[in-house]
Amino acid sequence: MEAETLKVRIKLFRDKKSYEVEYIYKKKFLDERPMILDVLLQAQEEKIDDLSFRYGCRARNCGICTVDINGKPRLACRARVKADDLISPLSTLPVIKDLIVKRDGIPRQMIGYNKIPSKNNLNVEADVPYHNLTACIECYACLDGCPLHKKNNLDIKDNNNAYPFGNPFSFLKLQRLYIDPLTPEEEKRGIIQKAKSLGLETYRREYKDLKIKCGVGINLKDEVIKPLLEVAFGDQIEKKNK
Amino acid sequence: MINKEKIKKLECDVIVVGSGGSGSSAAQAVAESGLNVIVISKDPLASSDTKICEGVMTVREAGDENDSEEELANNIKLAGGDLPDKKITEAFAKDSKIAYDRLRENGLRPSINKIRSTPKTLAIAMGGHNRSRSVGHKNSGLSFGHVNWDTIIKFKNIEYYEDCWFLDIVKNTSDESVVGGVAYDACNGKLLSIKAKAVIIAAGGLSTLFFPKTDTMRGNTGDSYAIGIRAGAALVDMEQIQFLPFCLASPPSYEGLLAGEPATGSFLGVIRDKYNKVILDSVYLRTRAECSEAIMRAVADGRGSPNGGAFLDMTANKKAKRSGKFFMEYLKSALPTAYNNARQALGKEAGKAEVPWEVRPSAHYMMGGIKVDEYGKALSFSTKLNKIKNIKGFYAAGQAMGGLFGSNRLGSTSLTEVAVFGYRAGNDAAKHVKKNKSKIDDSYFESHHRNFFKLFNDDGKFKAYNLKLDLQRKSWKYIGAARNKKDLLAMQNYLNELDEKVKNILVKEDMSWNQQLIEKIELQNMILSAKAVTLASINRDFSLGGHVRLDGKRKKIFSKPFSTLILMEAYNKLKIEKIERERTNFKTVLKYKINELYRLYIAKFIRILPDFLKDRIIEGKYKKILGSKAKLIEIQAGSLEAAPAEINR
Ligand SMILES: Cc1cc2nc3c(=O)[nH]c(=O)nc-3n(C[C@H](O)[C@H](O)[C@H](O)COP(=O)(O)OP(=O)(O)OC[C@H]3O[C@@H](n4cnc5c(N)ncnc54)[C@H](O)[C@@H]3O)c2cc1C
Ligand code: SF4
Ligand code: FES
Repeated sequence: MEAETLKVRIKLFRDKKSYEVEYIYKKKFLDERPMILDVLLQAQEEKIDDLSFRYGCRARNCGICTVDINGKPRLACRARVKADDLISPLSTLPVIKDLIVKRDGIPRQMIGYNKIPSKNNLNVEADVPYHNLTACIECYACLDGCPLHKKNNLDIKDNNNAYPFGNPFSFLKLQRLYIDPLTPEEEKRGIIQKAKSLGLETYRREYKDLKIKCGVGINLKDEVIKPLLEVAFGDQIEKKNK
Repeated sequence: MINKEKIKKLECDVIVVGSGGSGSSAAQAVAESGLNVIVISKDPLASSDTKICEGVMTVREAGDENDSEEELANNIKLAGGDLPDKKITEAFAKDSKIAYDRLRENGLRPSINKIRSTPKTLAIAMGGHNRSRSVGHKNSGLSFGHVNWDTIIKFKNIEYYEDCWFLDIVKNTSDESVVGGVAYDACNGKLLSIKAKAVIIAAGGLSTLFFPKTDTMRGNTGDSYAIGIRAGAALVDMEQIQFLPFCLASPPSYEGLLAGEPATGSFLGVIRDKYNKVILDSVYLRTRAECSEAIMRAVADGRGSPNGGAFLDMTANKKAKRSGKFFMEYLKSALPTAYNNARQALGKEAGKAEVPWEVRPSAHYMMGGIKVDEYGKALSFSTKLNKIKNIKGFYAAGQAMGGLFGSNRLGSTSLTEVAVFGYRAGNDAAKHVKKNKSKIDDSYFESHHRNFFKLFNDDGKFKAYNLKLDLQRKSWKYIGAARNKKDLLAMQNYLNELDEKVKNILVKEDMSWNQQLIEKIELQNMILSAKAVTLASINRDFSLGGHVRLDGKRKKIFSKPFSTLILMEAYNKLKIEKIERERTNFKTVLKYKINELYRLYIAKFIRILPDFLKDRIIEGKYKKILGSKAKLIEIQAGSLEAAPAEINR
């Protein structure tokens, strides 16, 4: 027999303290298989009217609903609930309130990273690897396990500063620009310079043990990190992942 | 009381509200002129409808050399029931190509038609277009999301603040010109008080009024319109909400999301009611409005599907011996995100188009909005003088503005709208600021600071979030895709009562990410927008455009077209005016109608041919459409492969 309810735990963060509450999700029909987002919305309606969490599209496209479920980053709108799941804020960014983390330290790393391109012939197609990278929804799941991002100090959250150390997302942005057929050669040097200044060297050292996983399944090691290491340091790395 | 420590003062030349397509285009135009911009966005940078859309954009001449400016402008104007503003449709037609190239300069990379050296257009013209001019993009809206993100990040003279709810425009009380704005910075727990000589509202639409019967971003709470009308602008065509016909009705996690468009219904797709009777054929040639209307009329007569919709039946496409497999290829590739939604929500058989899909209209886009001229200048209207006047320094662009589409927006035109008018508004705002050297006085901001701190109410009784949910249910019922006078009047009463409750909402005194405060701010904007929609709908007492008036007649083609204008008389009190619109000359209308009838006639003719013949003809069409096989990308936005988290669990 299917249960009519599902119990989850939600980690709240208020007044500098963090604590867990239990919420019992009432299924809308017996074989409903709700997503984490459905649970959060019902919890806000029924019990915690000031529950703070992000969502936008409900369809795995806007990338802002990422939370940790049992300690691993997941998109709330497309992660099915299992009984006793623990929903907590992303552990890789500073928590502001409940499930809200401050995100803008990441994009701010990239201010001015791309120059305005010269007027080229625009009727040029980009190759498949380029488009594989535009699949990124900026969900920040890839911060988990990133040895570089770990070096950033997360305590400082009352300003709008950029993090000094990079992450798979910021390298993805650089690699996308690098393989854009309209990027001029002079600018490519700048892109590699930028990658180095964000700490690409660390990725080189730890490449073998690097465990980064993209929330939408982009092959980050082969399609982002490896090609960057190759042009930046002339390394030859064997393709391992799929 | 005012807490000075919680106020952060900033200054810039132009404030841009919103970081979607129109916001980033506007910011680019201002930045290029050398002025300083602050971009305020309540969602994280570039997270917007523009990022989650299907990524299909109208580019004149992309698919057909004979696609003149006049042709495109007329197409929009006629489809919009002659409500569109002529100067605005002309500006759209004039700039669509430059605007597209600007996006390409910023990193948008379409497939190219190598023979013609133009971006490649979609196979079937999107519903209502009389030419092939819709360009699709790999990874749909995400490709636009990246471009917008890059654009805002690229300029050193653009500063951006995400997680900030823009509250109101601040004006000079003597000459009514813009002097800045105020915003709630939730992450930093501050009230931003920003001096600027121009503000561009690019904050999107109001579809969240109908949540969860919508496919748009959560943030579409009518902020643009509420902020606009409070700052003195008129709102035009507010009854004209576009409902997309083919959205999902269940299961709950997918409710409202896009499943397809008229064009993806393909050559043999039809809509059926619950008795299996065909209620609309040749779906692929119909506008969104026609399809929505057919479904809502069936629902109103009790012939609807279990979840209040109807059935999109594409099985005939699939069953055809030769063309069936081409159809599947077409269905999967034309609108990948929509297909993926449907496949996941409705299951395998539905994914193969072997059973009809249950679909229901969903709120998608507000065609009305802040009244502007072709440069994005916001306009006020004085009833006494019967005169339209511009509000100095106030601009609107994108979904926030009205006047471009009238009563029906053709598919793929909004991405062009945001790129064209975002940039135009930015350009004009920069010119305005450069001409104005006066200093801005602090005193204009004080009442806004006071009003902000008055939002807190520790002993409030009502919960803003629950009032919001109730408003959403009522909105679908009373001002949704099917309306009648009795319901509209009931809605008016309901909204007035709700106004009273808002005074008594609980908002704890806490500046750091205060969800109660956010819900209250948004609820107020939703109420004001709903009032405008309701009042305008009462006065549009026949069926025209996006919704059906169940108690009204259909518009006659030769009646004199008019637009509704909603104005603010006193705080939160609205009134209505009607303005006449120019009717397109008889010859053009006739040509357009004949063309439409001809296409429907051909479609019907093919449908009644014997099966084998029909199959061959359609196969030929698909072959032409799908052309040589394009290389597929590995991960498609929204697909199951794009969700390892879901598969692993
Ligand atoms: C599923 C879907 C598919 C679509 N497909 C297509 C398509 O294929 N082709 C097409 O042409 N159109 C399509 N559209 C429509 C099109 O995407 C939108 O109309 C268009 O992107 C609107 O752009 P915008 O810049 O006006 O607003 P948005 O892109 O929605 O941006 C609004 C911005 O304003 C911000 N904001 C809102 N309120 C505030 C506030 N109070 N303070 C601060 N910031 C605020 C938001 O955070 C956001 O950044 C689609 C829409 C959807 C939902
Ligand atoms: S690279 Fe993948 S995990 Fe990282 S932000 Fe982009 S989509 Fe998310
Ligand atoms: S809500 Fe947009 S990705 Fe989850």
